[in-house]
Amino acid sequence: MNSAGRGGAAGRGAVIWLLVFTVALGSLVVSEVADRTPRTNADRVQALAGDFACPVCQGQSLGESDVPIARTIRSTIRTMVDQGRTDAEVRTMLVERFGEDIDYTPTGRGLTGMVWVLPVLAAAAAAAGLGLAITRWRSGAHPEVDDQRTERPSTAKVVVGVTVVAVLAGVLVARAAGDRSAGDAITGDIRLSTRTLLAEAGMAAPEEADEIYTQVLELQPSNVEALAYRGWLRWRTDDRAAALIDLDDAVAMDDAYADVRVFRASVRHAEGDHAGAAVDLAVLDGLDAPPIVGDLLAASRLRQRVAGELAADGELLAALELLDSGLEAKKRTGGGSDAALLAERGWLLAATRVPELVERGLENLDEAVAAGPADPHALAYRAVVASTAASAAERVADVAADLEAFATLTDPPADLVATLVSMGLLDG
Amino acid sequence: MNPVRSVALAVGLVLAVLVVVFATREAGQDRMTTHLVGAVAPPVAGSTLDGDHWDLDDQRGRWVLVNFFSTTCVPCVEEHPELVAFAGEHDGSDPAVLEVRVVSVAFDDRPAAISRFFADHGGGWPVLPADTGRIVVDWGVVAVPESYLVTPSGYVAAKVVGGVVREDLDDILSRAVAAFTGKGAGQ
Repeated sequence: MNSAGRGGAAGRGAVIWLLVFTVALGSLVVSEVADRTPRTNADRVQALAGDFACPVCQGQSLGESDVPIARTIRSTIRTMVDQGRTDAEVRTMLVERFGEDIDYTPTGRGLTGMVWVLPVLAAAAAAAGLGLAITRWRSGAHPEVDDQRTERPSTAKVVVGVTVVAVLAGVLVARAAGDRSAGDAITGDIRLSTRTLLAEAGMAAPEEADEIYTQVLELQPSNVEALAYRGWLRWRTDDRAAALIDLDDAVAMDDAYADVRVFRASVRHAEGDHAGAAVDLAVLDGLDAPPIVGDLLAASRLRQRVAGELAADGELLAALELLDSGLEAKKRTGGGSDAALLAERGWLLAATRVPELVERGLENLDEAVAAGPADPHALAYRAVVASTAASAAERVADVAADLEAFATLTDPPADLVATLVSMGLLDG
Repeated sequence: MNPVRSVALAVGLVLAVLVVVFATREAGQDRMTTHLVGAVAPPVAGSTLDGDHWDLDDQRGRWVLVNFFSTTCVPCVEEHPELVAFAGEHDGSDPAVLEVRVVSVAFDDRPAAISRFFADHGGGWPVLPADTGRIVVDWGVVAVPESYLVTPSGYVAAKVVGGVVREDLDDILSRAVAAFTGKGAGQ
């Protein structure tokens, strides 16, 4: 090949390599500077949690760790993000509370500033070294290099090089461009409001409802309603561990949200943590809860069941305080009859078999029957206690009246019927 | 000089200069060790084990020891008798001894377990048993037990990481009283 031909081929080779280099460099630059703004608040929370170290873990970020302090901090981040606080504000809060050590993004101050400078220096040194090597090579510093080896690379090498760079560029561009889930429209969907989604979840089957609550939490991580109801749903579908995490997170997020207090009290009671359930119910009594919450409590007799368990554990005082707290709340809000709570109070006092307390219990049962003449528990409890108390002889008329009223009830609770039958007060 | 050596020398020189510059510049404040001390105490409020509402703001005018603990943490169990002794000594019954209110904030614990713990180990001060995550984050508590002494004006006077010892608490209190009020720990 003559020198002019070799020169032209070398020029084309240089152009190809320049193109390859440009594509590679361009892809790298694009992938790094492309707008990767998190699309939802959940993305922001995840991104922020990934930027900070868990303060008590080895090598795990807040986003990766599941220790209690990491979960607590994540919950705080969620709340701040939903409140519209900027990433900088979240960073400042975390650094102020837990120190700069947990911040994975090094500052430009102190020796840590070197991490920003060293890569640049290394690149500069490498470039300088490469430049020197090329200069020496061209100036004949390596005469042993054969002329053949200075010729342009073979076509195969060029193809392999271009393929590698193209694949690399494709991967980087795909990374920068984000992703789209199956079924997503190519131009994106009009985002449903969380309120609409929550309404849908309320009517959906459990599995679908769980997905919808999760979707709401993706859009708005501090949506306490979605978190509380997802926890309650998971509890009802036997995913106990996940349910407790959701409910605890929901309370941490908004300790004045009434619904989650009822849910968690119910869960704690079922788990045997009756004192914990009592705390939730006591807090609930101080809240301005919607009437439906009171109806739910009355229908489930949760407070009475928790009080009963506390009394059985020897915590009669705590049991009575829990019932009194409910009575106070009813008095304050004017919601519902006191009969059920008074009946339980009387029943627990009578169960002590201490004569003074039994008499006090009977007084409560009298109040209960007066407040709710058709309340099955008030009627049955008073009939049982009055027929066995020291003052039984004076209470014969009350017992008869209670049993007569009880007999007229449609579908009375089976446990009460069984109790009355076992005591010979009711025919089987 | 060999050009390679020249470049290596230049890079080394620049590196050395940078090390000197960055090492001598003012570093970020180490907030892990000085965190909160001297600052306004973050909020502590919530329902106690007894169902009462407790708020640090209501304690203005009194010294308060805020203790973060868990019944499942061994150092917390070990420090408890010391806290009981300190609380008893500073319960206000002796006019010659400065009154200090103690409040315990449980972290990641169960109210039933906390009730049992206090019934078994003593201690009659208010305990916030549940939903304390926000308080823990606000105070930057990393690992229980941690205790903070809060001045009557609501500033954090001292921080104790790990289990407390009554004598050490008394010493910290004396120094804090002297520093913040210019008086001794006696009334």
